[in-house]
Amino acid sequence: MKRILTYVISIAALFFVWEMASIAVNAINQAPLLPGPFDALSQVVKNAAELQRNFAASAWRLILAILISLATAMPLGLLIGREPTLDRFLSPIIYITYPIPQVALILFLFLVLGTGSATKVVMVTLALFYQILVSARGAAKNIDEEYVTSVLSAGATRWQVYRHVILPASLPQILTSLRVSIGLGIAFLYIAETRAALGTGLGSFINKYMLFRRDKAFAGIVAMAILGLLLYIGVDLIERILCRWKYVKRRPLK
Amino acid sequence: MINVDAVTIDHGQGEQTVRAVENVSFRLEKGKSLALIGPSGCGKTSLLFALSGLLAPRTGKIMIEGEEVKRPRRDVALILQNAGLLPWKTVWQNANLSLLLNGDFPQQNAAKVLAHLGLDNVMSRFPAELSEGMKRRVGIARALSTSPSVLLMDEPLASLDTLTREKIQDLFLNLWHEHGFSMILVTHNIEEAAFLGQRIIVFTERPARISATIDNPQMGSLDYRDDPTFQRVMSQLREALEV
Repeated sequence: MKRILTYVISIAALFFVWEMASIAVNAINQAPLLPGPFDALSQVVKNAAELQRNFAASAWRLILAILISLATAMPLGLLIGREPTLDRFLSPIIYITYPIPQVALILFLFLVLGTGSATKVVMVTLALFYQILVSARGAAKNIDEEYVTSVLSAGATRWQVYRHVILPASLPQILTSLRVSIGLGIAFLYIAETRAALGTGLGSFINKYMLFRRDKAFAGIVAMAILGLLLYIGVDLIERILCRWKYVKRRPLK
Repeated sequence: MINVDAVTIDHGQGEQTVRAVENVSFRLEKGKSLALIGPSGCGKTSLLFALSGLLAPRTGKIMIEGEEVKRPRRDVALILQNAGLLPWKTVWQNANLSLLLNGDFPQQNAAKVLAHLGLDNVMSRFPAELSEGMKRRVGIARALSTSPSVLLMDEPLASLDTLTREKIQDLFLNLWHEHGFSMILVTHNIEEAAFLGQRIIVFTERPARISATIDNPQMGSLDYRDDPTFQRVMSQLREALEV
């Protein structure tokens, strides 16, 4: 309840700043450049059907990209973090390719994969992949060796060490980095969606209306913010379920 | 019977090799207890890990029940310094770890041991919710869940307050009498070595070599702490450790 209240207060504050900015920008330019929050919100209601369609298109692209990047980067990162030989071979490759802005590949991806959803999903996957890979590697490297010794002495195989120690010990850090990376993923998705003419998704919706119907374009931005928030809450909830042990009361029982 | 024959253990490779244990030999008959004492970081833990099959000696041989130790054995349990509990598993899952990994130990065992150690009302809790003393007891339950014939302990009572420490020492003694396992305890605590070791081996600074062996046949009862022999063994140990 308290959490909901703080959310309401922060959203109200955000709207207030937005409204002030809108008044100021429009006064300075003497033209209605920046729509206020209430214009945008009323457009959200008026264009509900169109927004919903584009929201769904963007949402499934993001979710798919999250799942693919988790399924690939997490095991790879954990392996690199634990197997020194693999680390020696792969880390240089990772650190050379990591700083390349993946957006630079977007035209190339359009050429190879076309302008449909595939390119957009791959774009976001690339962005998330590195974030998850680097955090999984770091988490796996820093695991307290006592846990590993503990299961080894109980007769664990190598696979069981990953299953019962490396993965659960690293999961909180991986999910935190995923949560933080959602903003990045949305930015990449926006870029990919605006580059494809006549496509679906909130990015193309915003792009379509930005020049002549900014109130509608800002309705799209509101929808994108909601999408980000929902995903953020979703990952947070998953972490609270999967990593329940991190959230128990640390009041020792006698 | 445990037979440690001229064991030398090195860590690292090439020029960075550090010798942890040098030419150590001893025997321990079935059901007896042995304490290994020495300065912190002298290499006694490495010796214990070699006994549990987690680490291979550079030279020498370790035999348990006539078989050379090359990997962890099902009849040997190891209790680590901080009880080695996995924070993401509940008390029940931690106590049943061997069952979880190997699939063929009877579940009733862990349940019985947990109940015996007074842990049956916290089985669904996570380690973070337990006091230090309770965590150690879960570690003990985990070790005993497989009915081991050898119990290896690496400073199992480090960082406990004095009262809890003594309580758990008493518990070890009772369990030893009850279950009849052989027990090897690594410690740097003189009082603990004298209370729990039928024989006490004193090690030098790293690399660990045997500097003295002290027999302590009168140990074994809870009121041994009040016995003059206990005090005498402690002074002998102090002398051997050059404290």
